[in-house]
Amino acid sequence: MKESDFRKNLSIEVTLLESWVAHGWLVPATTAEGADFTAADVARGRLILDLSRDMGVNEAGVDVAIRLIDQMHGLRQTLHGLLGALDRHDRSLRQRLIAEIVDLE
Amino acid sequence: MAKDPYTLLGVAKTASQKEIQSAYRKLAKTLHPDLNPGDRTAEEKFKAVSAAYAILGDEDKRKRFDAGEIDAEGVEQPKRDFYRDYAHAGADQGRYTYSGGFSDFGDAEDLLSGIFGRRGGGGRANAAFRGQDRHYALPVDFLDAVNGGSVTVNLPEGGALDIRIPAGTRDGQTLRLKGKGEPGFNGGPPGDALIDITVKPHPFFVRDEDDIRLDLPVTLKEAVLGGKIRVPAPSGPLSVTLPAHSSSGKMLRLKGKGVKRGTKAGDLYITIRIVLPEKPDAALEAFLKDWAGGTEDPRRTMGV
Repeated sequence: MKESDFRKNLSIEVTLLESWVAHGWLVPATTAEGADFTAADVARGRLILDLSRDMGVNEAGVDVAIRLIDQMHGLRQTLHGLLGALDRHDRSLRQRLIAEIVDLE
Repeated sequence: MAKDPYTLLGVAKTASQKEIQSAYRKLAKTLHPDLNPGDRTAEEKFKAVSAAYAILGDEDKRKRFDAGEIDAEGVEQPKRDFYRDYAHAGADQGRYTYSGGFSDFGDAEDLLSGIFGRRGGGGRANAAFRGQDRHYALPVDFLDAVNGGSVTVNLPEGGALDIRIPAGTRDGQTLRLKGKGEPGFNGGPPGDALIDITVKPHPFFVRDEDDIRLDLPVTLKEAVLGGKIRVPAPSGPLSVTLPAHSSSGKMLRLKGKGVKRGTKAGDLYITIRIVLPEKPDAALEAFLKDWAGGTEDPRRTMGV
C-alpha cells in the first residue's frame, strides 16, 4: 500500500513514520511510485505503537525490543528448520534427542 | 458476559488512573503476542486485558461503566493482526528477521547460518524458500540525495542495478528494492536488495535535517551597500536581495529552499561572510585612514 494509506491505517503523522524508517524499524520497499508497505509493515507499525504509546517504552527501549524481536524470529525459524530436517531424517530422533536433553538437565 | 475489567487488570474499584495505567502496562509487557510469539493463548489474554483497559483507561468511559451505562462487552477491541503472524509466513517470510549468528556454536556456525540463516522455516525438503536479501553500501552525491536521482550500479556478481534515489534521502537511510536479492529456492520468491545510503559531503552545503546551511562570501561593497547577489541553492542558483549594512555572521533564511521531501520542504540558511579583496587596495586603505566613522568598539562587551 501507499505511504498515505499506511499512515491513515495507523493514524500517524509523517514525521513519526519518518523517524521509524530512519531508525530502521520499518524498511518499506522502494518502487518508482514511492515507498510500498505490506500488511506485515502495518502489523509491525502497530507493535511499535503498542510499545511506545500503551506500554510507555521510550525510543531506546523500542529500538532494543525491535532488534531482539527480529532476532528471536530468526532463531525460531532456524529451530523450526532444524526440527523439520530432523523429522524428515528420522521421526523418532526428535524424541530421543529431547530425552537426552532432559537427562543432561 | 465478559469478565469484570477491574478483575482483569487486577486493580481495586478505587484505583487511581495512574494505578490502572501502570497495571495495564505491566500486563501488556508480559502478555503482548509479539513478545510471546510461541504462546497461542497470549493473544486471547492480551485482547481481554486491552478491552478492560479501553474502558478503565479512559476516565469518561470508566465513569459510565461504574454507573452501569456500558458493560464490559460494550467496548470490543477491533480485530487486528499481530506482527508475529507475518514474521515467519507468506511473502514476508524472513523480511526483517535475522538469526543473530551462531559463532558461539563452533563448527555449526556455517551450517546453521548458511542453511537456515535467513531462509525461514519451511516444512518439507522441497519447500519453496524466499531467496536471501543482498546488502549493498552506496555512496550518493549530496545533491542527488537532496534532489533525487537515479544511479546505475554495476554489481560485483555481474549485472547492474538501477537505483532510484528518492528526493530528500538521508545519510544512513536504507532503500529496499523488491525482488533484487538472491533468487528463491524451489520456486520461492527472490529476496530483496537492501541498499545502505551514505551521503557524501558537499564543498559548501551542509545538511541539517531538512534545512541546508551555507556560508556565503560577499564583498565589502555588497555587505555595506546591499543589492542583488547570486546565491547557490541545491535546486539551482537563486537571485537574493542582500540588505544594505549586512555584517559578517548575519543570517538569511530562504523559506522552502532547503530539502524537499514529499509536500514539505526545509529552509536554506545563509550566513554572510565578508571577504576583503584578495590583494591590499590602496584606495580602500586611504579611504579608511580618513574615515571618521566606525569608531564604536565591537569588543566593548568582552572586557578588553
